Amino acid sequence: MSTSLKGTAAAPGAAAAPAFIVEATAVPPESLPATHAGSVDDEVGRLNEALGRAEAELRELAERVAASAGEDEAEIFEAHAEFAADPELASQAKEAIKRGASAERAVSQAFESFRVVLASSQSEYLAARAADLADVRDRVVAILLGKDTGVPVPAERSVIAAFELTPSQTASIPRDLIAAVVTETGSPTSHAAILARSLGIPAVVACHELLDHIEPGVVVAIDGRSGDVTVAPDEFELRAIEERRLREEERRVELTALRDEPGRTGDGHRVELAANLGSPEDLPVAIEAGAEGSGLVRTEFLFIGRRAAPSVDDQVSYYSEVLRAFPGRRVVFRTMDIGADKPLDFAAQPPEENPALGVRGIRLSLLESGLLETQLRALLRAASEVGDGAGRLAIMFPMISTAAEFVRAKEICVAVARGADVDLDGIEIGAMIEVPAAALSAARIAARADFLSIGTNDLLQYLFAADRLNGRVSELADVCEPDVLSLIGGIIRAGHENSAWVGICGESASDPIVAAALVGLGADELSMTRVAIPEVKDTLRRLTVEACRGAVAVAIKEASDGSEARSILAERLDLGAPST
Amino acid sequence: MPERSVILPNPSGLHARPAKVFAKAAAAAAGEVTVTKDGRQVNAKSVLSVLTLDCHHGDEIVIRVEGDGAEGSLDELVRLVESGLGEEPAT
Repeated sequence: MSTSLKGTAAAPGAAAAPAFIVEATAVPPESLPATHAGSVDDEVGRLNEALGRAEAELRELAERVAASAGEDEAEIFEAHAEFAADPELASQAKEAIKRGASAERAVSQAFESFRVVLASSQSEYLAARAADLADVRDRVVAILLGKDTGVPVPAERSVIAAFELTPSQTASIPRDLIAAVVTETGSPTSHAAILARSLGIPAVVACHELLDHIEPGVVVAIDGRSGDVTVAPDEFELRAIEERRLREEERRVELTALRDEPGRTGDGHRVELAANLGSPEDLPVAIEAGAEGSGLVRTEFLFIGRRAAPSVDDQVSYYSEVLRAFPGRRVVFRTMDIGADKPLDFAAQPPEENPALGVRGIRLSLLESGLLETQLRALLRAASEVGDGAGRLAIMFPMISTAAEFVRAKEICVAVARGADVDLDGIEIGAMIEVPAAALSAARIAARADFLSIGTNDLLQYLFAADRLNGRVSELADVCEPDVLSLIGGIIRAGHENSAWVGICGESASDPIVAAALVGLGADELSMTRVAIPEVKDTLRRLTVEACRGAVAVAIKEASDGSEARSILAERLDLGAPST
Repeated sequence: MPERSVILPNPSGLHARPAKVFAKAAAAAAGEVTVTKDGRQVNAKSVLSVLTLDCHHGDEIVIRVEGDGAEGSLDELVRLVESGLGEEPAT
């Protein structure tokens, strides 16, 4: 007998394969002991033993994978073993221990120093190795802490099931061995879901009681578009999921044909469809997906985990690369959005009880204005270096709460431009609207800005006081709640009345039904996860702007909650079954 | 101390398996071995450090070896790089 479960659709596609259950292992670096009590020699001994054991475990894993999946699949774990055995890594960690650090902290920092360099590399190969390093680090730290290091690698192509899946766990499993991902917790905007979408792996999240119903090795069928999860499907159900998979495949081919077409509704109303970018390795997929520029270029990876602040030169090469990738398009760079949950070595802030509500984003930038000035100088220099043929620079400040804050940030930008003798004409400066207070002050902020960009992920989290990574509450934060749609409409109107264009840069825009609603509310630009662009583009081209406006107006007026609003939108716009 | 510059002839440069082959060969030398690209010098015996140099096909690297038998070790490393580090050299 099969069992049917329902979760939240998180990445399209369909698959059926045996379940492989991944247990959690990672320990946050802040919770590691900072110093060691015993002798340096004893602590170095612990370090060497842990590195040696990690290496041995990884070699054994490589052998097992080689036997089951082949030499090519095993090679990655050979590389992991080499990392654990690296002499330079060990010597850096030993130096830190001599300075008093615990073995846990020392090895964690040593891994981090290499990981950061690799993560910021232009090379896709090296950037991928950064994720490998995080996994090896977690293993070594787990060994030091006496925890189970579990081996999260299936012996055959499997549906990866977990209570929660970290990006490094997802990334550590060879892509060919993942048929689909399903988690008991999480939301479509959690990092693992975003990663699944960008890898093209079907995923369902927030599937309650998942682990009560599945056993390792039992076949599980996943429909990443409906959120349906079927445990031990019968022959009929298996055939249905296979048909689904083939249809998804055909659909992908169809959508590829739209790549170079502009984003617009069927009646010609223009909507820019841009990609959210997190690091250099996102660029090829964004271009492949036909992104019309970027509405959100995250810059945190340039800062996090470094021992010293990145120089202007360090930053210019990344900014120029992104600008060059989108000739003639707008590229919105968000200045560093960092808080106490990701402390910087070179701008140490006191620990906070509640980093989500603390000194983060523009608040940190205004306290440490030297960092912001350097970043702005690098952005302006990149724009002048790449010249007219490349993308157009736009600058966005994150975590703006008040108009005064925006004005202060903008003044810093004006001063930097004056100092660098750069003309700000043609460079748009805007605010990210993600704090509820800023949503209320949208008109006041828009009057002083060239654009507003609504960061729906954080805006929803703050509006509903619901952590988006906490699957037990994340469902509360539904962008389709009628009053949220109404609020977004109000922000867009406030922008337009003050001659500012308004974009959306959150995962919300990745859902075609929500994208249509946002267009109905007047959004000028939708920036989303890269792989969602073709689907959204296709959907909008089948609709008229009037139909979108009408549908969202009815949804706001008549729906009593988010799921009803979604049903109304889907029905009125003929967009098939709502995805949640 | 002996040093020599070499142009990487293999398709992957000092990435993936060739980086490992190179670091392993360097580790066999008795003394210190370093590799330099664009003025950045790292421990050639550390595959992680070698990777951070991000050396591609056609890049010029400088290999330095110190200590006993440095000349011989350097010859061997240069020969290994020129032969493609286990890959077919591309032209």
